[in-house]
Amino acid sequence: MPYRWGMAVDADRCTGCEACVTACHAENNIPTVGPEQAARGRAMHWMRVERYVEGDFPDVRVKFRPVLCQQCDAAPCEAVCPTYASHHTEEGLNAQVYNRCIGTRYCGNACAYNVRFFNFFNPVWEKPLNLQLNPDVSVRGVGIMEKCTFCVQRIKAAKTVVKAEGRALRDGELQPACAQACPTSAIVFGDLNDPESRVSRLARSPRGSKLLEETGAEPKITYLAKLAWDESDAR
Amino acid sequence: MPPSRSSLAARLILPLAFVVLAATMACGVANSGGLAGVQERASGVSRWGTPAVFTPAHASAGAAIRAFFGLRAEARQPIDFSHRLHLDMGAACTDCHAGVEQGPVAGLPSVSTCLICHSQIATDRPTIQHITALAEQGLDLQWQRVYGWPREAHVRFEHAPHGRAGVDCATCHGNLAEQTVAVRAVDMDMAFCVNCHTARQASNDCLTCHY
Amino acid sequence: MSPLDRRQFIKVTAVTGTAAALAACGNPEHQIIRFIPEDDLVPGVATWKPSYCPLCAAGCGVVARVMEGDAEVFRNGQAGVMRMALAKKLEGNPDDPVSRGKLCPRGQAAIQVTYHPDRVAEPLKRAGERGEARFVPIGWDEALAEVVAQLDALAAAGETAGLACVSRPRGPLRAALVARVLEGFGGRAPVAWEAMGDDVLRRANGVSFGSHAMPMVDLADSRYVMAFGADFLGTWHAPVTFGVGYGRMRQGRPGVRGKLVQVEPRMSTTGASADEWVAIRPGTDGVLALGLAHVMLAAGLRQASDAGRAGAAIAGWSEGLSEYTPARVEEITGVAAARVERLARELANHPPAAVLIGGPALAHTNGLFHALAVNALNALLGSVGQPGGLVVPPDVPAPASPAGLASLLEAAPTVLLLDEANPVFDAPPSWRVAERLRAIPFIVSFGSFIDETSAFADLILPDHSFLESWVDAPPAGSDSSPRVAGPVMRPLHRTRSMPDVLLDVSRRLARPLAGLPETFEAFVSAAAPATPASASGPSRARATADAPAAAAWAPPRFDGEAGEFPFHFLPYASQNFLDGSLAHLPWLQEMPDPLTSGMWSSWVEVNPRTAERLGIAQGDIVEVRSAHGVLRAPAVLLPSVGPDAVAMPVGQGHTEFTRYASGRGVNPLAILAPLTDEATGMPAWSATRVQITRAGSGDGSLILFAGATRERPDTHEGR
Repeated sequence: MPYRWGMAVDADRCTGCEACVTACHAENNIPTVGPEQAARGRAMHWMRVERYVEGDFPDVRVKFRPVLCQQCDAAPCEAVCPTYASHHTEEGLNAQVYNRCIGTRYCGNACAYNVRFFNFFNPVWEKPLNLQLNPDVSVRGVGIMEKCTFCVQRIKAAKTVVKAEGRALRDGELQPACAQACPTSAIVFGDLNDPESRVSRLARSPRGSKLLEETGAEPKITYLAKLAWDESDAR
Repeated sequence: MPPSRSSLAARLILPLAFVVLAATMACGVANSGGLAGVQERASGVSRWGTPAVFTPAHASAGAAIRAFFGLRAEARQPIDFSHRLHLDMGAACTDCHAGVEQGPVAGLPSVSTCLICHSQIATDRPTIQHITALAEQGLDLQWQRVYGWPREAHVRFEHAPHGRAGVDCATCHGNLAEQTVAVRAVDMDMAFCVNCHTARQASNDCLTCHY
Repeated sequence: MSPLDRRQFIKVTAVTGTAAALAACGNPEHQIIRFIPEDDLVPGVATWKPSYCPLCAAGCGVVARVMEGDAEVFRNGQAGVMRMALAKKLEGNPDDPVSRGKLCPRGQAAIQVTYHPDRVAEPLKRAGERGEARFVPIGWDEALAEVVAQLDALAAAGETAGLACVSRPRGPLRAALVARVLEGFGGRAPVAWEAMGDDVLRRANGVSFGSHAMPMVDLADSRYVMAFGADFLGTWHAPVTFGVGYGRMRQGRPGVRGKLVQVEPRMSTTGASADEWVAIRPGTDGVLALGLAHVMLAAGLRQASDAGRAGAAIAGWSEGLSEYTPARVEEITGVAAARVERLARELANHPPAAVLIGGPALAHTNGLFHALAVNALNALLGSVGQPGGLVVPPDVPAPASPAGLASLLEAAPTVLLLDEANPVFDAPPSWRVAERLRAIPFIVSFGSFIDETSAFADLILPDHSFLESWVDAPPAGSDSSPRVAGPVMRPLHRTRSMPDVLLDVSRRLARPLAGLPETFEAFVSAAAPATPASASGPSRARATADAPAAAAWAPPRFDGEAGEFPFHFLPYASQNFLDGSLAHLPWLQEMPDPLTSGMWSSWVEVNPRTAERLGIAQGDIVEVRSAHGVLRAPAVLLPSVGPDAVAMPVGQGHTEFTRYASGRGVNPLAILAPLTDEATGMPAWSATRVQITRAGSGDGSLILFAGATRERPDTHEGR
């Protein structure tokens, strides 16, 4: 049975620290666009932390939610791509094939989660910042749409290793950069086709829900709700 | 049927316009979106004589156009290295391209690799004396890559899994035993890869190679 | 068509038509010298090497992913390219007791320190006025000769005490070696300077627990945690260790989910994650802590004697803290009496529980009192040293007293060594650091970057980055020796390791210093296991000297009349830049702030009610005026700060700190009042009052990250 990659994000663990955001930049050669372009809404963060502030002082509640590509099974971005740059793999990944992308940005408009980013310019790394670039990941140029890949380079590398060693992939052996960095382990990644994997068990949690499920996009990331404390559960 | 004058003009102008646009987009001119306030200091050339920034943009529109049409200059090597001679002497590919079996990149050997043997062997030849002299100055050979894809192909090829799958070096690199200085013997276009993947029932999903 | 098919036709016409016209766009390719690789690496294959993150005092153990790449380097006086081992990414080291395999956003960005385009790549000599930041390159030999000449002159004049050193908090071994060199020469003891440091808490811990070490909380086993001001999940002390524990406290134990209560006047990221947020009046935290203790004692939930030494440090402890009734606590702190009662009972009834204090809560004129009060509350709870409670590590040397930097500057040294501290930017304006630096005859900086302080240096002798040198971090976990790692990669630039430069200088002196190791590497290898034992001796003696008279509540003093300056001004260590020392890293500049999503900017957090009253809209420029200065920044409206306060992140407002930070935003520390914690002399950076007025509509300097999903996260509150 092929893998079916999925993720669970536990809001009860998430502290909004943004370690995932920077880890993603470091892993995936995501450029910084600078203040002027950022002010025009062109900052690229495949992974972002949303905050929801509720109530008035002093009864204020804040909720954090890390949002990344939901790797939808019925992805709206795939249907609108005229070049099949955005397509579905047999492992359930919502792939963005850069060399097919001609930059129509239809996919970005179709995505309900706002997780696709367009290269309005050729990115620039002031030397020697370029020496940090991950050689396992493409550097995308102008006119290309990009988004979270579930760290496909790590998936590829892990599959290469297990194939060479002639064994099965262990649950938790493969982590995208965000999950690896996350201090509170709020992000769990794994194979949804393995019913015993941690991500599968979390996906069945009663605390779980999907983002914007009503759109019918069948997102693959389960969000586990933040709990409220009550005296009984600390006993 | 010969094309009419007007349709010929249309055929000329459209692709021309497209190529000019694409080339300009792909070359350094389009970098006005760089960091504000940084451009002034970052522009120009670093003290190493290279551009002060790294960017996937092509250095020039000419380079962009050449890449667009897959036109690559033949590699020019610093010395006339003979693959045939070394293979005849019993050297294996992996002796010098040591990364082939371990990782994605085969690797181009440094002078130190040459001198593993040539500190003893054939030390009277001018070429060997040349590389020995280089090594004494701490300088390396400027090998040029023979194969490879343009950056916008976004190909992420790995040698080691292909070797493990039993793909022979010659399948992609031609018979080096017949070559002196390596030449591009195989046209590695996508059909070449896909045909082999199909024949061997390897995945042809885009993400297998492009990410 | 003709033999030429359509596709080829297009290609041919396009190439012939345009190639010539456009060939001129771009850079010529240079013939570059290529050096023989010095590392033996398989291309394309990663190896992992350990190191320690130097960006904050926690010292997270990291592993660097090392791969081969082409770097532009200097060798034998030549510029060229070399294939070499390059750090590509940092991950937490799973075997390290601090990082436990995880890393914070700043640790992730630490790799940009090494590859920063504005790193000082070779020794520099001042070419302009002090503070102008105009430098010219100089050779190492020439530079070292100059340092040696200055020190020899000092020694010849018998004024060796004129040598001083200011550094950022560093690994214990590096600090020890620097101290030995200065001691050998006869200079002053080196001073570690950190603007938002924890000296107040360290001193309080010395009094309460006999250890000056920073405390931890065993969150993973805790059922109830209350934190006063300490943003321990974001910026305070060791956020990664706390984060790992927090995840387990929430969801790591079947059937048990610990509660987090955060007490602070401005909601931090930790407050945002808390189950209950208690907005307290600034400078009154200790009163609430003692109020909680009072309730426990009055209800017989704990006995006063449980607190032992820590309780004895509080006036009125053994009498049941009769002054701290819930009603009186409400009066002082603004926290309702009934809530004080409830929190006290929850805290007492959910062991193991722990209380933490730190950060802005201690940056008041009565800071030490708050820390002692919280320590006593911890002791009363019986949490100290227990699983799920407060962990107080073995003693370390006490922080220099009081506020060593101020007294060092007052002593007007002749030769000052600067090791990455930036007091011109972050020390209280009343210390007049820039003015005093101007009066120092000779300043040597070892900084990797030209910042506001090294702009005053006569010489900059750039240090290696942490990835290029031997690094050490404070002991952690069960191991009592410092954690040590070797270099991950070769130096990119013509830099030299700072401790090795000091050793080199000490050998070149007219009277070379004796008894010093050859290299820092040798020192580290030899000293690592021995250091902790020798360090505990002198500090124990000092621990008793710390003990003051029992601490009693004194209202905090604020600078500025409440009538004229109606708002508390609450600067806070930013999640991106801490105290501003990380503002030069582009990833952190472009990382959205957790609570506002601000990037590349400064802002003032204003309560929406205040904003409405003053006619301020989101993004409007507000003028913030204290009795000591004025600044302008865009407003962000947030209910997480009270109507009687405004808050500002620290970190921006650099005038000279690389291309990414220079001239960006404003520095809230620049308008602070010269108040200090009265017991320790540390800056009371939360004790300034300000007035705010609308100064105009937005100027575009507030940059928020635009991306968002349109669905509230509360659609599902399942359990």
